[in-house]
Order: sequence, then C-alpha cells, then structure tokens
Amino acid sequence: MLLARFLGPRVWILVAVILAAAILVPLANLALPPDHALHVPSYLVPLWGKYVCYALLALSLDLVWGYVGILSLGHGAFFALGGYAMGMYLMRQIGSRGVYGNPVLPDFMVFLNWKELPWYWLGFDQFWFACLMVVLVPGLLAFVFGFFAFRSRVTGVYLSIITQAMTYALLLAFFRNDMGFGGNNGLTDFKDILGFPIQAASTRAGLFAASCIALAIAVLLVGWITRSKLGKLMIAVRDAESRTRFIGWRPQYVKLFAFTVSGIMAGIAGALYVPQVGIINPGEFAPVNSIEVVVWAAVGGRGTLIGPVIGALLVNYGKTVFTAAAPEFWLFMLGGLFVFVTLVLPRGIVGTIDHGWDALRSIRRAKDAEKDESGGDAQAVPGPAE
Amino acid sequence: MRSAITWMQKTAAAATITAFSLSGAHAQDTKPSGEPIKVGILHSLSGTMAISETTLKDAMLMLIDEQNKKGGVLGRPLEPVVVDPASDWPLFAEKARELISQDKVAVVFGCWTSVSRKSVLPVFKELDSILFYPVQYEGEESERNVFYTGAAPNQQAIPAVDYLMGEGVERWVLEGTDYVYPRTTNKILEQYLKDKGVAAEDIIVNYTPFGFSDWQTEVSKIKEFGSAGKKTAVVSTINGDANVPFYKELANQGIKATDIPVVAFSVGEEELAGIDTGPLVGHLAAWNYFESVDTPENKDFIKKWHAFIGNDDRVTNDPMEAHYIGFNMWVKAVEKAGTTDPDKVIDALPGIEQANLTGGTSKMLPNHHITKPVLIGEINDEGQFDVVSETDDLVPGDAWSDFLPESKKLEADWVDLKCGNYDTEAKKCLGDTMAEKSN
Amino acid sequence: MNRSIRWLLAGLAFVLFVAPAVAQQAADPAAIVQKFGGKQSYDDTEAVISELARTGDANVARALRALRDGDLYWRESDEAVFIGKRKGDDYEIFDPMTGEAAGTVPRGEMQKVRVKNSIRNAVTTALGSLTLGADSAAQRMRAAETLFSEADPEMIEPLDAAIASEEDAGVKARMEEARASAVLVSDRPAEEKAAAAKILANRADRESLTMLTRFAGATDDPVAKQAAEAAIVAIQNNIAFWNQMQNVWYGLSLGSVLLLAAIGLAITFGVMGVINMAHGEMVMIGAYTTYVVQEFIRTNAPGLFEYSLFIALPLAFLVAGAVGLVMERGLIRFLYGRPLETLLATFGVSLILQQAVRTIFGPSNREVGNPDFMSGAFDLGLMSVNWNRLWIIVFALVVFAALLAVLNKTPLGLQMRAVTQNRKMAAAMGIRTPWVDAMTFALGSGIAGIAGVALSQIDNVSPNLGQGYIIDSFMVVVFGGVGNLWGTLVGAMTLGIVNKFLEPFAGAVLGKIVVLVLIILFIQKRPRGLFAQKGRFVEA
Repeated sequence: MLLARFLGPRVWILVAVILAAAILVPLANLALPPDHALHVPSYLVPLWGKYVCYALLALSLDLVWGYVGILSLGHGAFFALGGYAMGMYLMRQIGSRGVYGNPVLPDFMVFLNWKELPWYWLGFDQFWFACLMVVLVPGLLAFVFGFFAFRSRVTGVYLSIITQAMTYALLLAFFRNDMGFGGNNGLTDFKDILGFPIQAASTRAGLFAASCIALAIAVLLVGWITRSKLGKLMIAVRDAESRTRFIGWRPQYVKLFAFTVSGIMAGIAGALYVPQVGIINPGEFAPVNSIEVVVWAAVGGRGTLIGPVIGALLVNYGKTVFTAAAPEFWLFMLGGLFVFVTLVLPRGIVGTIDHGWDALRSIRRAKDAEKDESGGDAQAVPGPAE
Repeated sequence: MRSAITWMQKTAAAATITAFSLSGAHAQDTKPSGEPIKVGILHSLSGTMAISETTLKDAMLMLIDEQNKKGGVLGRPLEPVVVDPASDWPLFAEKARELISQDKVAVVFGCWTSVSRKSVLPVFKELDSILFYPVQYEGEESERNVFYTGAAPNQQAIPAVDYLMGEGVERWVLEGTDYVYPRTTNKILEQYLKDKGVAAEDIIVNYTPFGFSDWQTEVSKIKEFGSAGKKTAVVSTINGDANVPFYKELANQGIKATDIPVVAFSVGEEELAGIDTGPLVGHLAAWNYFESVDTPENKDFIKKWHAFIGNDDRVTNDPMEAHYIGFNMWVKAVEKAGTTDPDKVIDALPGIEQANLTGGTSKMLPNHHITKPVLIGEINDEGQFDVVSETDDLVPGDAWSDFLPESKKLEADWVDLKCGNYDTEAKKCLGDTMAEKSN
Repeated sequence: MNRSIRWLLAGLAFVLFVAPAVAQQAADPAAIVQKFGGKQSYDDTEAVISELARTGDANVARALRALRDGDLYWRESDEAVFIGKRKGDDYEIFDPMTGEAAGTVPRGEMQKVRVKNSIRNAVTTALGSLTLGADSAAQRMRAAETLFSEADPEMIEPLDAAIASEEDAGVKARMEEARASAVLVSDRPAEEKAAAAKILANRADRESLTMLTRFAGATDDPVAKQAAEAAIVAIQNNIAFWNQMQNVWYGLSLGSVLLLAAIGLAITFGVMGVINMAHGEMVMIGAYTTYVVQEFIRTNAPGLFEYSLFIALPLAFLVAGAVGLVMERGLIRFLYGRPLETLLATFGVSLILQQAVRTIFGPSNREVGNPDFMSGAFDLGLMSVNWNRLWIIVFALVVFAALLAVLNKTPLGLQMRAVTQNRKMAAAMGIRTPWVDAMTFALGSGIAGIAGVALSQIDNVSPNLGQGYIIDSFMVVVFGGVGNLWGTLVGAMTLGIVNKFLEPFAGAVLGKIVVLVLIILFIQKRPRGLFAQKGRFVEA
C-alpha cells in the first residue's frame, strides 16, 4: 500500500522535472545573454550541480535506510571513494601542466620525492578505466563489507556504528600522506575532463546535465527496484526481519543487494561531484558528513523517492544561504531544523504531506499506518520498545 | 563573571558589525562617500578551524573599520562581506565563488589551512580576483592571484633550526601532524640538517593524525631519543588542536625546555591562551611577529585591537600581523593603481612597502611573497614570548625551496618573467599557470 | 711604606663602605649579583653566573634561582638588582641576597634580566656545585642529579668531600653515582672505572646506558670494557622490561580516558537506546564548568584553587545533568520507540550546544589549570607515572563503581533496569516510567559532565572537545556490548591497551586504523558486542 503511492505519476513528474533542469539550466546559462531575466549566472551552475550530486547521494542512502532499514553512517565513504577515482583520472589529465612540469607524477608526489607512480595509480589516465573504478571500488567495498556484516546478522545500531568505524578508518588512512592520495590536501587543481577545460562554462553545464541525468536514472532505478517483488521483500526485511527469515527468505542477500547498489550509486554521485567542486579531500570521509546525509534523507522523508532529493536540495540550499547571511548563527538554525523536523515532521516533509493527504481521506487508515510505521524501527535497537 | 561580560561584548560587537554592514560606512572625521568597495573575508567561523580563524575575521573587521575612519580607499568606503566556510574545504571554493561572482568583492582576505587555499585557488584563477593568505605555509607555490603574507619555510623553519644549532643542539626530532605543511617543512629541514653535517641517525621524523590527544607514547619516545647524551631538540609542526595535550604531556613527563627544547611553528599567543604556561617556560616558537615586541606600532595595534574587541585579555598573533601588512599593502596598491580592478592591483602590488609591527618595513616581492623578520621567542610564564633571537635583516620569502630537489631550479617572478614556476634550467615557464592571463 | 698602604686601604675601605653596593669588594657575592643590572647580552649574563659560581658561596643560590625562574629584575633608575614578584600592576621587590622585602615598584620601572635556555642551564650547573653542601637534603639531591648529568671530572674531589660528610643514605647513593659518571670520563685508573661501571649498572637507566656505551667504545682496558659491556646488557634487559610495563600503563591510562568518555553514553545509549550524538557536548559542558569554576576561584578566592576540581565535580554533574534533563523532557521523550530518529535530533542539539558555547566563551581554547596534586610525575622503576594520569584512572574506576552501585543497589537503579527491560510491565507495576526516563537520561548526561572535569586536565577545552570523543565513545560501548556496564569497562581497557601496544610498531595513525578494523571484524564474530545482552527483549 505504501508502495502503491509511488507507482503513480509522481515519479515521472520528478524525473521530468530533473530532466527539464538538465536541459533548461545549461541553456539559460549559455544561450541567454547575461542581462536577460532568466539568465543563470555561471557561478550557480556548479553550485546547483553540487546539490544534484548530494541529492543522488541522499537517494542512495534512502534505498538502504528508507526501504531496507539499514541505517548506514558510512555512506560518505562510498561517495568519497567514487570521488577519489574520478579525482585520480583528473590528476592524470593534468599531465605536464603541474607546477613542476612532471609529465606523469602529480605535484604532491613530486615534492614528497616520489620517484614513480604507485601501482594503484596506473590506468587512471584512461577515462573508461576511471569510470570502471568509480563503480567497482565503492561497489566492491559495499559488497565485501555487507557480505560479512549481513551474514553475521549484524543489525541495527551495531551495523550503524561499524559503518561509522569503516568511514572513520578510511578517513584516517586517506589522511596519511604515505597512502599516495595527497593526504589532507587531497586532489585538486584539475585542468580538464575528456579534453574539455574543466572551468569552461560549457563543461560545467555539461557536468550539471550529466548529474541531472544520473539522478533521473537513479530515481527510476530505485523506483523500479522498490516496486518489484524484490522491493516488497526489502520492505518485509525492514519491517520484520526475523519473520521474513522464518518464512524462508534469506534477508542477508536482499540487504547485500540493496547495500551494494546503494554503494555504487553513492560512488557515482561522488565521481560527478568532484569535477564540479574542484577538490576531493579525506574530509569527505568524515563521519559527520555521513550523518548529514542521513539528515537530508530524514528531512525530506525517507522511504519515499522524492523525499531525499528534496531534503538534500533544501538543506544544502539553506546552508549556502545562511553561511553567508548569518555566519555566526547558521549552526543554530541548522541544528534547530533537525530538531524541528524530528519532532514535528517525523516522516519528513514529503512523508508528512502524504500523511496529511491520507488523513484527509481516511482518519482510520492513517492510524493504522502509524502503527505500522512505529513498529518498523523498534527492532533496530534494544531499548524501550513499545 | 568574565564569561558573561565577554558574551555581552560579543553581542555588542556583532550588533555594531551588523549596523555597520547595513549602513555601509562610518561617519568620522573624513567621510568616505560613493559606492562602497567590498572586501571579502573568508575565514571559518565554525567547525574545527574556527578556533584559529575567527580571530582573523575580527582583525579584518577592525582593519577595515580603521581604514574607513581614515577616509576609506579612493575616497570610497570599504564594506566587509563575511561568510562562513565552516572548515569545510569544498565549501571554501563555493564561498569564494559566491564572494567574487555574486558579491563582487574587490579582494578576499582568507583561508588558513593549505587545503582551503588549494581548494579556492582554481576559483581565484578562473574569476581573476585577489586572495591575501596570512598564514605560514609550506611554500612550493606562487600564483598570480594570491599574495602570501605569511612565512615561507625559509622565513620560519630554517632560521629556527639555525638558532638551535647555535645553542648546541645535535640531535633532532621532527614531530608533525600528518599533512602537507609538516611533510614539506620536515623534508626541507631534513635536507638542510644533512647538508649541515647532521648524521641520519640523529634525526627522527614522526607524524601523528589531526586532533591527536593521547601523547604518552610519542612523548616517551622523544624522551628516550633525547637521552642519548647529545643535546636534543624537537622541531614541532604539530597543528592547532593537538598542541595543548602535547604540551601538557611534555610538562607531565617532566621534559623541561632546558633538557629538550621544543621549537614550534604553529604555536602562537592564541594557542598558548589555552594552556598554563608555567611548565612550558623556555620552549620556543619561531614567528615573524610576537605580541611582546616593543615597538610603538605594535603598542598602537594592540591598543586598537583591545578597544575593538572590547576585551583586554585577547592576544594578538602572527597571522593577524600578516593581515595587517597585507591589508595595508592592498590599500596602497589600490591607491597607486587608482582602481580596484584586480589586474591593475596585481600589477601594482609587487614593490609596495609597508611598515610591519616589529619595526621593519616589509616589501611585496615579485614572487608575491613578502620580506619579514624572523624572531625566535621563548615562552614565558605569562603566555607570551620573550624574543631571544632575531635575524639582522628582513628575510625575503622564497616560494620554491632550495632544499627540495625538484623545486631548486624553479623561480617565481610575476613582474619580469610573468611566471610562478619558471624552470631556470630549461628556461621556460612550466605548466599553464600563466597561459590564460599572460597579457 | 707598608703602613702607608695599610692606611690607604683602610681609607679606601671606608669610602667603599658608604659607596653604592656595586663598588664594594670585588669578591663580594652581593656585588657580583648587582652586575646583572643594566642592559646586557646573554654572554655577559653567563659570565656573571660563572663568576658567582666561583665564589663558592651558597648564599648566591637565591639570586641564581630567581634568575632561572625569570624573577630577577633591575630598576631602570639605578640598575639595582632585585627579585620581583608581580602583584597587579606593580612588583613587590626583595633583596636578591637576603630575600628581605624592599617595597613595591610600578611595573614600568623594572626590567627583567633576560634569560634563555642556555642561561638556565648555566644556572643549574652553577647551583649543582654550589648546593652540594646545602642544608636541605632535597637540594643536595638535586645537586647530585645535576652533577650526574654533567659528568665533569673536575667535580670528583668536591664530590668525595660531600660523600664523606653526607648522612642521608639516598643522597649519598646519588652522589656516588654522580662521582661514577665523572670517573668514567676522567683519566683515573682502569680498576676505578670498572667499579664506576658497576655503580652505573645498578642505576640501570637510559642515561647510564648512554654513558656506559660511550665508555665501552672509548676504553682500551679489557677489564673495564668487559665490566661495561656486562652492565650494558643488564641495563638493556631492564629497559625492555620497563618498556612493556610502560605500554601497559599507557594503555590503562588511555583506557581510563575512553571509559570516562564512554560511561555516560553507556547509560543514555546503552541502557536507554538513545543514539545520543550530543553526548560529547555533555562532556564539553563539564569541561567548561570546570573552567568557569576555576575562573571564579582565581578572581575571588585564589586559595581554593587546589580544590577547584572537587568543587567543579558536583557542579559539572548538575549542569550537564540539567541540560540532559531539559533535552529529555523537551525532545527525547517524544522519540522513544524511534531510536534512530534520536540520532537526528541529538545531532541537531549537538550543533546548537557547540555553537552556543562558541558564542558565549569564544572559539579558542580556554585555560584550565592543573592543581598541584594533578601535576608532575613520580618514577616507578624506569617508568614515569604522571599524577594526573594516575588520578584519572582512579577517578574513572570510582565513577564506574559508583554508577554500578546506583544501578544495582538503589531504588532508582532498580526502576531504571525494570523500565529498560520491559517498559509496559514496569508501568503496570506502578513505576512512573516518564520520570525514570528523565532521571536516567539526566544521570547519563551528568556522568558525561564529570568526565568533562577529568578530561579538561589533559585535553583542549574548546567547543570541539566533544567531537573528539564521540566516535571513540560509541566504539567502546558497541564493542563492549550495548546495555552492559561491565562491557564498557572491559571494552575501554582492551581498546586502550591494544592501541598502546600497536602504537610503537605501527605508529599512531596506523595503530588506530588497525584498532578500528579489529572492531569491525570483532562485531562480525560477536554481533552484539563483548558482553551480549540475552533474553527475549533483546530482539523485541
């Protein structure tokens, strides 16, 4: 019944809006003269592109959290790994235009006296190889991590904490300069992608469009997965894992599938993010970043397709506005927003609107739904269960 | 209680700032008029770096306030635009873009960490604006759009090591946080020490992560290394947050400055404000400015700072002086160019001279670094530094270290060569740093 | 002729007697001390110190110590030298020889005699030879230690004299060690050196190892060389043993810090199931409470500083507990049964609290001092044990025991456990579950607050304080097993010790990464932590 709502035209409207943005924003930026009322200034394009990548990341988290009930506090790790894979390609593209003019080694290796490229940097001069790695590295990590964790039936808060440990360990590892990923400074000063100068307005517009298309595909994919039979199984696992197991399903494989797909989506989001913001640094692995992703999904409404997208766009837009308008007080606003949403809009913005709509139609039905939902989470943590 | 007072003063200060940015200008003796010139301030006010950067934001607001009282620049008032990049590196790039494209600032003063500077670099190059960077850093960079008013390694690290050698130190611990500034500085120092005849076994290099707080093992390692009979010193490039527990552990394990002195490059008055300095007396720091320096300019600066911030306990430090120099240089360059157009100001800046707070006159060099005196200070029990050594002349900042094999041959000169990384062997400009803007 | 000279001298002495102190007899220590006055270079200062050392007069020790501590000043008007103590905007000044008070002088009129490390070292050396015959045993002990490090053959004879007249056995042993270290580098006969090597072998620390190694490399005499080499092996074994002990100690110490940071979370998260992201901020509030208490004491009752931590403890408990209570009543009670959502709300609260502290106290570190009993270290074998680390271990265990007692022995604890295990049943038995919830959360927060008092002694007191501990705290609680206090204790200590044994080999960063990976792997083996809760309520 919950799913039935997403079968309708709303998914298609969302996809249409995203695709329209993919076409109209670059057009408004490139084709319209700067003094035109609808002209989109160049600085806004990469900024919006960044939001779209965040939306994709939030959607990937929603697939595992909203639909399978796995609260990952380490999704930033997949995002960052995808970003690093893309960043390595972009570094190799700099070629001899680095400050030391070394045709092969990135600048940070030159001034740390590295003599040759480490083996894991090989191949990244090819775009197809980098793309493969964008998918493969986060996907593989998610698969291996998920395989062991779900097989051992690590659930609920234990799982959340070890995903956090994973991203924290990666954070520390990537901070190490000896790892060969540029340490704290990360990878930066990119020149071009696929031969297009990365700072050109047209490249930016192209990247923005690519991000939108990726997001649209992801929305369709997640919509398709969740309304398939597998999707029903996911929700069964989310709401009552033990019962699902007793009926004869293997919840660990359902979880593993969702987790791996989600990891890959996050990786792709990271890969699109890096050329638009121009830097990838271990800070992306910081556990706080992953928590923020959870917050976006929650604000928009988890367990919905449109919610995480809206949540990510809204929170990040707010961040942009308030860090400039009220630099001393924006953290109060952000913190207050999280508290407000959990207290007043526990289903998130989209969930609340849906809920209100339902309530109008049938008060009784809404009550049932609430019972269902509150029963859903309780199993995740041993604690005051209802 | 002091806390309450501080809070009230803060609120008052914030109110003044708000009122100020709303009205655009202060009416004083000479009243600047016309459209305000916007000055961007890009320092983290939240997150891990707020601890260091917030002071710089306040210092910039003070400098702008002072300048407006003096009649502004080109007769026009200055208007500060403050944003919070929240210690988030991609956000630095986003905010830089916003300042330049949306707010149309004429110049930006900001950044602290190397990574934040690296993050905004492409933005400043692309949008052709000016950044003044006030913090000591690892060098290995010279960009057309950036002016480095903090120390390069040769203006801080090397004179400090020279001083310690003069004091008879023969064994060296290079202890740093694992990021690019300590890595590069230690590479340079290691080479420098070896050139001076220090044996490899008399140097150890060690790195710890950011925010490291459990120093027991590391400090006892230092203690052990220092018990070999030769005079030992620690050269510390430990970053901000990790310093307090490091010094507390040193004191607790009874390592005194007379046994194993620690010379730090990232510990200034601001950091010491969080520590009881009694047990640390005699440990050293190398900077280009100390609050304790006794000159009329410095006294005046400290007085104005205390009046502006409304708290006599607030200290001044080296990056604040760097902003003081940088800001005044920019003002002079704008007056000289007669416009705030970045290209003209960039061309006008090299050669500009500005009296620094320690009694000398700093000069902007063609490589966009400045000349600075190097002071070595010992921590005293009041949380200040007593200067024990000072270079005779101002030291010109060297963008490319002579002690790194790859950068030895490079030279930066934006006046004649128009290049930030000119290869003196191949006689050409490397990379594409000048490609777009050479006209 | 003789007579006339004598008269002349007498007349001169009379003139000098009434003349300023500077011009008295050349050998008069008081006159030499006055030479510190006026602007001078470090070399000048050092020359005066060695001149004072040559007088052999123990009375100059006061001036020298003041010089070393940076308390020696000269008056700008007449360059007269005094010991100064700061008092507000003035200096109280004292005579450098006798220590008699000589009034107060405004700050602007006094100049400090500039010192640096090499000056301090020169003073220490001078004091070493001057105070060998001092009255206090502690001073003689310090002198012997200094001379041991100096290893100066010229000091053998004064040491012999001092040893002969020494009555304190401990000091005497130190003096003999100092003598031995000097003998090793002297040109004394080989037998005497072999005997000295034995004395150093008994001392068995790193410094004597260094001296012996250098001696074994330099000497030609086979007997002495053999004695030295045997001693070296013995010392090395000794050092290796103590290194292991030191690692265990560091591990326990780190473990106690982790325990303190995590123990409050073991209540709010472990017992109540609230994923309390604001836990670190409760610790921070405790630390800031300590700061405010110390500031208050500094301005109003400086004498109480030694007790500041004891005053701060209950206050920190109350302040953090009150914040916790407000959080529970205003926020968390609406979220029971939705534990994952508590993560979002408390994350929001943590942002607000951080920024609030930043607004009130400013973003930079605040100074929290160590009272004397928390400062310094003592030696246990070759291991130095810091008092503050020791007290923190003791404190962590006391807090743990107290909490255990509250949970197991008090009615509140009973009710807490009842509510946690079966809320509905507990309510049916007449327990006011909302009240118990509030009290439990306040208790957990309060404990986090007193942890903050302890952590303020070893870490930064800044708005970021809590952030540094939150992840480690969650790791500890999850590793130990949610809902089990013993698990938290064992978990914290295990992680601490493992970390400290890895650190010397792997380095601080890799060590920590390895620990995290081990936690991940361990959870695969035991998905509910070290001490898993059992029973039907576990998988409700």
